[in-house]
Amino acid sequence: MIIDFCAFIGNWPTYPVSGDPEVVQDTLSNYGVSQILVSSLESAWCRNPHRCNDLVYRAAETLADIWPVPILDPTIATWKSALHQARTFVPELHPQKRVHLVRLLPTYSPYDLSQADELLKSLVEAKLGVIIQTRLEDPRRQHPLAQVPDLPAGEVAAVAEQYPALKVIIGGTRTGEIRNLQRQLMDQPNLYADISQVDGLDVIKVLVNDGLVDKLLFGSHIPIFTPHAAIARVVCDLDDGTPNAVAAISKIFSGNAGRILD
Amino acid sequence: MNLKQLRSQLNSPWPVLDMHVHPLDCFGLHGVSSVKEDVRFLTESAHRAGVTKMCLFSLYRTCPREPSVAECRMANDYALAMQDMAADIFLPFCYVNPMYPQEAVTEIDRCVGKKRMYGIKLWVARRATDPGLSPILEKAVELDVPVLQHAWIKTTGNLPGESFPSDVADLANRHPQARIIMAHLNGIGLRGLEDIADSPNISVDTSGGDAESGTVETAVKTLGAKRVVFGSDAPIRHFSGQLAKVLATDLPETVKQDILWNNAAQLLPKWSR
Repeated sequence: MIIDFCAFIGNWPTYPVSGDPEVVQDTLSNYGVSQILVSSLESAWCRNPHRCNDLVYRAAETLADIWPVPILDPTIATWKSALHQARTFVPELHPQKRVHLVRLLPTYSPYDLSQADELLKSLVEAKLGVIIQTRLEDPRRQHPLAQVPDLPAGEVAAVAEQYPALKVIIGGTRTGEIRNLQRQLMDQPNLYADISQVDGLDVIKVLVNDGLVDKLLFGSHIPIFTPHAAIARVVCDLDDGTPNAVAAISKIFSGNAGRILD
Repeated sequence: MNLKQLRSQLNSPWPVLDMHVHPLDCFGLHGVSSVKEDVRFLTESAHRAGVTKMCLFSLYRTCPREPSVAECRMANDYALAMQDMAADIFLPFCYVNPMYPQEAVTEIDRCVGKKRMYGIKLWVARRATDPGLSPILEKAVELDVPVLQHAWIKTTGNLPGESFPSDVADLANRHPQARIIMAHLNGIGLRGLEDIADSPNISVDTSGGDAESGTVETAVKTLGAKRVVFGSDAPIRHFSGQLAKVLATDLPETVKQDILWNNAAQLLPKWSR
């Protein structure tokens, strides 16, 4: 079983992607991904990102493997309504698929994370976790009139420190940033990182050797990236046939998720 | 789906010739203290990913953007030393700096003419429009080896000497007999492909950037199946993650085999066969 913490549906304005919800589910299903935590890609550029959550909720209603991760924006005056919708969403056909996590895109709105204080407190009260996205697209490849810098992952780690009861996932950060946060990741039980954007020779092996196996969550970044890449990085790096390797793969693919989605 | 089934789905069923690899001495997450260690890390990782052979370019250990003649020479000696330890795996290219055209030609004579390196590597010292490249390209044609030229279109701004795809097209048009491999499909993107579409002596390698969906398919559609070659840019990138760009496509199997091996093999000199 594989759980994907970094999946999206919808279109991307500068690059054609296959973001149809059914295509996303079918593509991931081919690799054994059976729980897809999905946000709307279009929220990144919509001036009210909450409007695009409906697509995610509808997909969760109809597609068995799609779990909703609505995007919330604390600078939208009605964010409390969007949070209420997240808290009370129960798909008729799949009632177990309530919202466990919301995703923030602070660099796209844009806002400083200090502006999310009230929202983050509300998430703690609601017992929801948060994925704070640090990158959607390599800044070198962005449209020249729509450049969005990466969010430093340290700012996400600071949120986890400030809100120890909040489960915090660093979304889409790079290898160097994760390694720089090794101590915080190991010391803060509520802090995790997805592996959707890590890269480099033996990268997963290196991160596991850094002692981070319990803090890594699988993420594909579909539909912008092919999910084959992220899955292959894990399996190729760790699958040496030993029980320890199988256990490490299992933790990254789904085991660590249990502490977040319980 | 169990792990064994998943593993079999991820691996290439065909041999793989990687057109774009650097030593760990230059880049990567592993610090290495010897050529032997460099060879071991790279070959073990490549083996796990199913990469059979690698075209190798050292950019000297500190990767200076404008390397001296001596630094290029030391970089090439390093690549040759790696080849000595795994001759059936590494196909080293000769790295030169077009700021020093005549010295570059001398180094090519040493590395390609005498030591039978497999091609010439150009990076970011000078753009491909620079006249300093002409003697290098002429020597490449004379020795019948390909030239791999770095290129990118960076929204954040190219380096002063960093080539755009249109620069590489200019180079190819000035040297129609040369076999040019332009690096970094994901770096040049949808616009860069159009820049080189009408230059039949340019192939593109799939290296660099993230494993974005659809890029290789677009390259095949724009350039034709014979002008796309697999490259990983390891150790900056992960062999398997980069292979995914090709393996995960819905291209015909014959096209995938061409990209993963045949097209690159056609570009390499006869002593590679």
